[in-house]
Amino acid sequence: MLQFVLSGVAIGSIYGLIGMALAISFYVTRIINFAQGQLMMVTVMVTAELASSGYPVWLAALAGLVCSCIIGILSYVIAVRPILLSNRFSFGWLVSTLGFAVIVENAAAYIWGPTSQAFPPILNGISLPIGGAVLTAQQLLAIVTAAVLAAGFEVVRRYTLFGKLGMATAADPEMASAIGANTTVVAIVAFAVSAVYAGIAGLLIGPSTFANPYLGDTFGTYGFIAMMIGGGTERPIAAMFGGLLLGVCAEGANALINSQASDWFPFIVLVLILIVSPKGLFSTSNPLFRPRRAAVTRG
Amino acid sequence: MVSAFDPQPGAVAPRLRVGRWRAARLVAVLIAYLAATAYVAQTDIGLQSLVLVAAVFGILAISLDLVAGMLGLYSLGQGGFFGIGAYATTILANDYGWNVFGLLVLILVGTGLIGMAVGAMSLRVSGLYFAITTFIFTLVLTVLATDMVAVTGGLQGLLGPTFPDFPASLEWLGTPLVWCIMLALLACLGLVWNIRHSPLYPILLSIRDAEPFAEAAGARTAAIKVGVFGVSAAMAGGAGWLFSFLGVVSPSQFDWSVSLNVLVMVLIGGINTSIGPVVGAMFVSMFPNVVNINPWLQEIVYGALSILAITLLPDGVVGIARRALARRAGGIAPAADVAAAEALPGTPNIAVASASPKDSEIIVECRGIEFGYGLGPKVLRNVDLAVRRGHIHGLIGPNGSGKSTLANVISGRLTPHAGEVLLKGTRVEGMPASSRSRLGLRRTFQAAQLVKELTPTQNVMVGLFDRVPRIVGRAPLWPMLASGRRDLAAMQRRASEALSLVGAGDWTARQVADVPHGIEQLTQLASVCVAGPDIIVLDEPATGLSAKEVRHLAAILANLKTQGVTMIIIEHQTRFLFPLCDRVTVLNAGEVILTGSADEVRADPVVRQVYLGE
Repeated sequence: MLQFVLSGVAIGSIYGLIGMALAISFYVTRIINFAQGQLMMVTVMVTAELASSGYPVWLAALAGLVCSCIIGILSYVIAVRPILLSNRFSFGWLVSTLGFAVIVENAAAYIWGPTSQAFPPILNGISLPIGGAVLTAQQLLAIVTAAVLAAGFEVVRRYTLFGKLGMATAADPEMASAIGANTTVVAIVAFAVSAVYAGIAGLLIGPSTFANPYLGDTFGTYGFIAMMIGGGTERPIAAMFGGLLLGVCAEGANALINSQASDWFPFIVLVLILIVSPKGLFSTSNPLFRPRRAAVTRG
Repeated sequence: MVSAFDPQPGAVAPRLRVGRWRAARLVAVLIAYLAATAYVAQTDIGLQSLVLVAAVFGILAISLDLVAGMLGLYSLGQGGFFGIGAYATTILANDYGWNVFGLLVLILVGTGLIGMAVGAMSLRVSGLYFAITTFIFTLVLTVLATDMVAVTGGLQGLLGPTFPDFPASLEWLGTPLVWCIMLALLACLGLVWNIRHSPLYPILLSIRDAEPFAEAAGARTAAIKVGVFGVSAAMAGGAGWLFSFLGVVSPSQFDWSVSLNVLVMVLIGGINTSIGPVVGAMFVSMFPNVVNINPWLQEIVYGALSILAITLLPDGVVGIARRALARRAGGIAPAADVAAAEALPGTPNIAVASASPKDSEIIVECRGIEFGYGLGPKVLRNVDLAVRRGHIHGLIGPNGSGKSTLANVISGRLTPHAGEVLLKGTRVEGMPASSRSRLGLRRTFQAAQLVKELTPTQNVMVGLFDRVPRIVGRAPLWPMLASGRRDLAAMQRRASEALSLVGAGDWTARQVADVPHGIEQLTQLASVCVAGPDIIVLDEPATGLSAKEVRHLAAILANLKTQGVTMIIIEHQTRFLFPLCDRVTVLNAGEVILTGSADEVRADPVVRQVYLGE
């Protein structure tokens, strides 16, 4: 019991980070970046490549994050901005971000080949007994990192001018730019941050998945589910809660039903949650539980 | 004179004898299509499978365009319905020996019903969430198909059933499957083409772009959306049935990337066009055969092309071609001033003179209406309003006093928290806007709710929705039905009459996007008058009109009043409003402060203080 909860929380932190990455770019631009999983994959591949050619792991990881950051910004400039400029409410981005994902994924497969490659273990070799359960230090690192990043994002969003700028851009880009916000810069920063979040998720999971160009598909999908379960389309941090729930559900299904159950059980959970609350568990559409309102209406 | 009804945006000039010319062209196209089919049915298997896969995806793309193009519902569930059709056919035909044609019926009905269920569930949330919910539907189905190995064969998939042969007498036709798929594609093209040439088309577009307008015209928009989505799902399921005969059925053929590829097809070909989806489907499905390079490079080129197509050609190939043709056809002569047609008295009736105005009878009544938005303060507090038949009843008050909210409560956009609304003595506060329209109530909107890409005539035809029987039921066959052609001509005639009557007759052939603001307001008014309502609620009809246009509007309204139409008019321009009104109600901060004649209101010290600013 403790074992699957702990390892569920660990893998859930990864899903939650990717979910948050999706939610951060969604928050500002109202589009879902289908290339988010591929941004994570870029970090993993670049890090693996550099580490195997002899660079220190921290440098390789840094370079990996920088690469996914650049590609994240490119995804905005190439696949998102032209669409939103012509019509903010069109759905062309569904196609263009997917096209971008296809390009990145196949470019990676072309460069590195479709098979998995070694990834530096980082802290994966160290085992920590906790109660009756065992976690690797890497899993613990994932949990801690995810908590710090989620809390950090929320603090920045609520208490800094830049965070409020993001909120303003999210609510009404035209109004935000009318009062002097440079919405393009806000969007670029959001895409860069979301690429970094996805990249960090990649660094945390890399030691157990190894480096594979198709990693982005699976984890992009799970990140998306995390966001939808939680209601990350309204508040990015809800995607983290969704990720944790998803992780525990998946590990719990493996432990309690059978070893394949994590393939389908989370989807059942997702469907049930969306039937009850179409915008996610921690959203205002949930009839059972409404989050405290951030803004108090006067009167 | 009846101007040609041409639903295609861009092609606007009225053409004579267009019907006969078009019929001849249609027959020529049909013959060419059948000849091409006959040719493909005789050729080698390689070309056949290329064409057939493209045709099946063409059906899938048409099914998506039906909901995405006409209703703005970007469904990513098409892959899911496609998969249901293919798997159900394969499993039931191979393992249980069911007849494949019986299965077709079962699948069309089954996927249609599933589509309606999914649609009803996803439509609780609009826009993007519809895309997301349908996306998840496909995702879950793919997971099930992958993991239920015992039934579906897992990732390996299943070998589809074989298509039955022609009877000996028809063997000369060639491969039966080719005929089946190509005729199915033709049927789908025909279905969508018919809808596009029926009065349902402007209604669907108005549901997409201006839902309150469609509701106010009596369309049950939620039911129509669910129904059309059901048809689209059935079409996708049917495409799956066809696909199962083409070879192996496996999860990767139905996953979410297929749904997105179908969207790519629609967008590349041209959304909301008759043949655009098929053009896009041909391009996308034949792409790997045409560009024969390293598979990864090929995918990269495909990704780059789809980004380029979506950013450079937002209207798709067909949209571009159509615009080029329209430009060659030349511009349209600019029309005269709005209020050119001043001669209003003596014009034929547009409103049905229901009964002679009886001053005593109350036709619209609100009792103790309470309303507030969300957690905010109450917007309407204990509002009572009584409007007598044949009266023009003014509703004035400062900004934010609740006038538009009250109009929305009366017309059914909003449900009051407490109190009663009575129309002709019937309690209606729980009734949707579309049902109130059947009681003879129509309304206009402060910001004109119209479909920009249609002409004013087509927009006015939306107003006739509940005056013409069975528009929805007949739409799939509309141009083939004599009654359909007759009704369409009558609707066009009434719509252009209504437009001439309000003085917008010179603008019937333009798109609403290209007409001035005053004409938009008049188009709204025409779309209301054309239905011959008993009661009209007008929300700031004079906003943004020039002084001349305001005088013209006053003349139209006075004319309507002589025909016994009751009107509730919200307006700030008291100089325009007061001379028209029998009674005026003044609202302030959600409360009625006075109801009386225009003179009484003008003389009241409180009104002068809060509203007239003295």
